[in-house]
Amino acid sequence: MGCPCALHLETRDESVAQAAKTAVLAECMRLDRKYSHYRDDSLVARIAASAGGAIEVDAETADLLDFAAALHAQSGGLFDITAGTLTRLWDAQNGRLPDKSEITIALAATGWERVQWRRPVLRLGVPGMRLDLGGIVKEYAADRCAKLCRDIHAEAGVVDLGGDLALIGPHRDGTAWIVGIKAPRPSGQAAARIELPRGGLATSGDYERALIVDGRRYSHIVDPRSGEPVQGFASVSVVADSCLVAGAAATLAMLMGTQRGGAYLRDLGLPHLTIRDDGSIDGDIVRVD
Amino acid sequence: MHSNVKSPSLSPNPHLRPERVLRWLLAVIALASLAGCATQTVQPWQRGRLARWDMRWDPDPLQAAMDQHAYFSKEGTAGEIGAAGGGCGCN
Amino acid sequence: MRPSPSLSLLLAASAALTGHAPARADETGSEQYAGYRFNVYSEDALSAPSLGDPRRYQVYSQQFLLNMPIGNRNTLSVNATHEVMSGSSPWYVQPGPDGKPIQVLSGATIRDHRSAATAAFTHDAGGNDTTTVSATYSQERDYRSAALGAEHTLPLNAALTLGFGGSFSHDRIEPFEAMLYDRIPRAEKNTTSAFASLSLVLDRYSVVESGIQVNYQSGYLSDPYKLVSVGDALDADTRPGRRSEAAWLLRYRRAMNENAALHLDSRLAVNSWGQHSLTLAANWYQSLGDGWQLVPGLRYYSQSRARFYAPYFAQDSGPFFSSDYRLGAFGAAAANLNLRKRFGHWEFSAGAERYHASTSYALGGTALADPATVSYTRIFAGLDYHFD
Repeated sequence: MGCPCALHLETRDESVAQAAKTAVLAECMRLDRKYSHYRDDSLVARIAASAGGAIEVDAETADLLDFAAALHAQSGGLFDITAGTLTRLWDAQNGRLPDKSEITIALAATGWERVQWRRPVLRLGVPGMRLDLGGIVKEYAADRCAKLCRDIHAEAGVVDLGGDLALIGPHRDGTAWIVGIKAPRPSGQAAARIELPRGGLATSGDYERALIVDGRRYSHIVDPRSGEPVQGFASVSVVADSCLVAGAAATLAMLMGTQRGGAYLRDLGLPHLTIRDDGSIDGDIVRVD
Repeated sequence: MHSNVKSPSLSPNPHLRPERVLRWLLAVIALASLAGCATQTVQPWQRGRLARWDMRWDPDPLQAAMDQHAYFSKEGTAGEIGAAGGGCGCN
Repeated sequence: MRPSPSLSLLLAASAALTGHAPARADETGSEQYAGYRFNVYSEDALSAPSLGDPRRYQVYSQQFLLNMPIGNRNTLSVNATHEVMSGSSPWYVQPGPDGKPIQVLSGATIRDHRSAATAAFTHDAGGNDTTTVSATYSQERDYRSAALGAEHTLPLNAALTLGFGGSFSHDRIEPFEAMLYDRIPRAEKNTTSAFASLSLVLDRYSVVESGIQVNYQSGYLSDPYKLVSVGDALDADTRPGRRSEAAWLLRYRRAMNENAALHLDSRLAVNSWGQHSLTLAANWYQSLGDGWQLVPGLRYYSQSRARFYAPYFAQDSGPFFSSDYRLGAFGAAAANLNLRKRFGHWEFSAGAERYHASTSYALGGTALADPATVSYTRIFAGLDYHFD
């Protein structure tokens, strides 16, 4: 998953805890192997290799693609999973800023409009196109892990995949878990603590994977139309009935910039929290002190 | 039958006169509606404790139904919040 | 609160990936379960001066319930009851030698069956917005009743929910042995009822609900099996052809700690026959660990008499008269204790209630001693099966 992951569980049965741990680990590894942006043996890599041609995908991938397609339509093209080539350019691990020509080339290989998706066949129209499922897969994984835990009757707990949380179930006495929202700049402290009685909490932000050059931060969230990282909130956190929906909302708000993003979050009606570069905090999430 | 036996005296109950009861009723309803302004809002995601089985209006619907049926048959006035169910010729 | 259009789009798009929608905190009925109860109701023998068989009513009843979610937003709930009743019943009251009323009970033991079924369909639009429609049918040898009801709940804001609804029922009675005892051969009665309520989340631990209910009955409202002693004669129980009632209900629920909750319920009612009543009930839900729950409770009830009620009438002060104790002034105190145990999918429950009514318990007291106020014991045992 490329991030610190944790499973918090409350149970009286040691074997249930062990089974849950095994199930969650196995599921995370499965999804990582399948959708990792970095691995050469992942399905994403095979899809990229098929660019220019067609590839048939399984049901799970088809569902993810359907979801991404819907988000693309709802966001007016802002949310685009074909921005894989672009996001690779702005990856922190490169240690440098990409130059204009690289961006232009990557932009030519970006754009969901250039994709033919007729379930179950995916046709990436341009060679060099790459899918980047970040913004969906980690949140989906959290929801999946939570469901697996519930299936084996580990019913009180929280799955935490690098700050994207999915609730397994409330504490055994019925009270809600209290979770922290990470601060965008590493400080070890939570920006806020809230109750999570159901669903999931997802945070979209630049704190972990931002590229820093000459003291400036460049978000890893790239606008697929301009090829440049977005300049908006430092982080957006949303609570929804699933980590997946929370993550989608948070990512969309990040992509839209502070003005439109703020309006979008208010219109959605989901509890949310936004942090700007100057550290100011906004949003209607109710904090627990 | 003894025709000169009086009917037992029927003095009206001073504490539960309809007008007094009605006034009390209105006052408390007014209070109940004011209360809405004064309390803190609990967001839906804060309702952990309220989601418990023993915090429902009727944790056991079957038992509530049987209770209501017993009280309705044996008392002169009856009913609960909600639609009235079918009647019975209970004696 | 209903999702905004933009949220609805997200939710719809994610449906395939998230699968079954997770449970919401305020949802009450959408788990699939079945329940069975066996109840025994047994009235104490009449201890006051009486004539006829003093052993009163005994009822054995069985209840069945099936609660079925249909999809994510709908629930169908079906329940059926079957009862077997026997025992003697108050027939009329006559003045004894010292003026004290003597209850005469029906000599013949009434043995009757009653079957009833209700189906209710609920649509949950999300965030406490629900609509329920229900239909009920009940049948005994001499009595039939059919009813339809509908209700709606609407969230006004994050803490306040409005509920309202109405129902209509049509009943028909065809008394036994009508010719023999000069009873009306057939009669009907209609009841229309409406309610409105507000429920308020006070804080993380407590909720309160306040509601008003009004109902209007018309038709034959008398009891064809009862007679009234008027002067030297015995006349048929004659009540007005209309009755309206208004009631105010208040309910409070509080989570005391992780293992206990307090329930307080009250009801205040007045009707057009001159009666007013007060009901107060308190129940304490205590978890004992390991899936055990103990629920003790207390209930107090008091009502005043109808204008045309008396144990017996020296002369005809008509046009209405009744000596049915349920129209007299009395109070009742009851105590109950229930036990529940959950193991896996099964849940076992059992309980008992002891109820004692007396004219001396009435608020404000009464000079009338009604001989027929009832005391009873109820016992039940039940089994529920939770499908998930």
